[in-house]
Amino acid sequence: MSGNAGKALIVLRKECLDNLRDRRTMISSFSIAALGPLLFVVLMSFVLNNALGESEEPLALTVTGSEHAPALMDYLRRQNTDLTETTIEDAEQAVRDGDESMVLRIPADYAERFSAGQAIALDLVYDSSNFGSSNRTFSTARGLLNQYTSTLGSLRLAMRGIDPAVVRPINVQQVDVSSPAERALMLMSTLPYLLILAVFMGGFYLAIDTTAGERENKSLESLLIQPISRPALVLGKMGATGVFGMLVLILFLTVFALSVPLIPFHKVGMRLDFGLVQAIKVFLVCLPLIVLAAGLLTLVASYAKSYKEAQTYLSLLILIPTMPVIITQFLDLDVTWWLMMIPSQSQATLVSLIIAREPLVPLHILLSAVVTLIVGVFFAWLAIRLYSKERILG
Amino acid sequence: MIEVRGLQKRFGTVQAVRDVSFDAPDGAITALLGPNGAGKSTTFRMLSTVIEADAGEARVDGIEVREDPLAVRGRLAVLPHDAGIYARLTARENVRYFGELHGLDRGLIDQRLGALIDRLDMAEFCDRRCAGFSQGQKVKVALARALIHDPRNIILDEPTNGLDVMATRGLREIIRGLKDEGRCVLFSSHIMQEVTNLCDTLVVIDEGTVKFRGTLAEFQAQTGEEDLEEAFIALTTMATP
Repeated sequence: MSGNAGKALIVLRKECLDNLRDRRTMISSFSIAALGPLLFVVLMSFVLNNALGESEEPLALTVTGSEHAPALMDYLRRQNTDLTETTIEDAEQAVRDGDESMVLRIPADYAERFSAGQAIALDLVYDSSNFGSSNRTFSTARGLLNQYTSTLGSLRLAMRGIDPAVVRPINVQQVDVSSPAERALMLMSTLPYLLILAVFMGGFYLAIDTTAGERENKSLESLLIQPISRPALVLGKMGATGVFGMLVLILFLTVFALSVPLIPFHKVGMRLDFGLVQAIKVFLVCLPLIVLAAGLLTLVASYAKSYKEAQTYLSLLILIPTMPVIITQFLDLDVTWWLMMIPSQSQATLVSLIIAREPLVPLHILLSAVVTLIVGVFFAWLAIRLYSKERILG
Repeated sequence: MIEVRGLQKRFGTVQAVRDVSFDAPDGAITALLGPNGAGKSTTFRMLSTVIEADAGEARVDGIEVREDPLAVRGRLAVLPHDAGIYARLTARENVRYFGELHGLDRGLIDQRLGALIDRLDMAEFCDRRCAGFSQGQKVKVALARALIHDPRNIILDEPTNGLDVMATRGLREIIRGLKDEGRCVLFSSHIMQEVTNLCDTLVVIDEGTVKFRGTLAEFQAQTGEEDLEEAFIALTTMATP
């Protein structure tokens, strides 16, 4: 038995060395581990910073001809607006060039028309293709101006003895119940999904290279002639796939732990501490899933006739473990024992709990590990059976 | 020593090997000659334990291949048809991997590897990664890999395929050397000329059946043909349109 274990280790070591030298494997395995958490941090920071701007940050507005409308300027300043007065001639060009993000232009005849009770045309110059700040500040500025106009209109009607409600039969009010913190939480729930994807991506190319790749390389027959039992051979190859899955998971968690402090959670009064203890817990909870991933990837890649075919199968296959995670996210299920019977779903749930620092039920951890391992061993057994058949030679 | 008795193998509806029997003694080169698809590779694969015979017996040093495949693998060097090597490993790492799978310790592997590098003239490229190797260099790596456990019996499936004249000549010398050491060498070819240069015993195989078994002189005597290639063609179905 020790001889078999030793030989499986020889295969594992060779496959790891072989694939560490393969740029394709390295890029596909480790890019998701490094980029996944970074992408998460960037998205999260974007949501939180944006949310922040809506509520607190003063609206920056550049105005030309402000001297014509002192009352409007006073009104805007009271509405938390940071006014900059300017005398530029061509506001359109300034916005187009990006010198100004938005310019409010007040015509010279403002005061005259205002006194005469005539309609006044104000220009709000902005660039809608400038993604991000401009669209938001534009709608804020327009909202303020509309509000000023309707207040003014109401006053004038009231002076004439007419109820302002007559000209405004419907009054739409926006009630956005989502708070920045809730949006952040929703984004947080994608994290387990990314993590599970990383576990599967880690061994993706390795599983193909060691099975369908070896056959396509025509080195499989020579290998099968060596005095190593088929189970030891398959377990060695699966082991290498698992090692890469583990390395990718460790890298993912490291990058995540390092980048979490960069997310401005404090701005919305949230806290997220992800330290070594959490990282280790997540790693341990995901270990059985690595076994399952290695078994499943190796099995399916062995079944494929060529490298290309294996690539196609595995690309589709990788969607399956992420499916329950996506579906149950919409169902908003309670954490129950039967949820722990679903591999990948159970890990995603446990990871969410670990990140939220909520207590874990030991039985849940045990169930998740045992069920996932049983399924993993079953896949491994199928792969060994496949390698014991003559058709493995292709 | 390799003994084959009444081997049969069917793949689906195709009877790849119908009835193949021959002996390949130690200290001799035995050639399996036949056209493409005659059943040479299938016969070798049954001997090397990667596929199982439907009927018949095959023994390597007296061990039946189906009874103890792992023991047979330990006594056999096999160079499969068009064998691939690992392109991202060096020649040395390729050979070492197989040595380790045979359970040899590092010291012995390095000692034998040194000898094989000299013998196969691999010094120039043995520490380079194998991507981009010439066909000749690849065959040498695959051969060194097959020989690392110093087996008594050597099976070579069309080893000269894709080699140029000089590489073929070099390989011929290596094969003769293996025979001179008292090993049992069994190789296959579909080229008559290659066989006449090398073999002691000839086994002509066609449509999964042995058509002739004996020395070259016996072959000539039996067929009555001056030209050996003509004799070979006449013996096989290649002659019938």
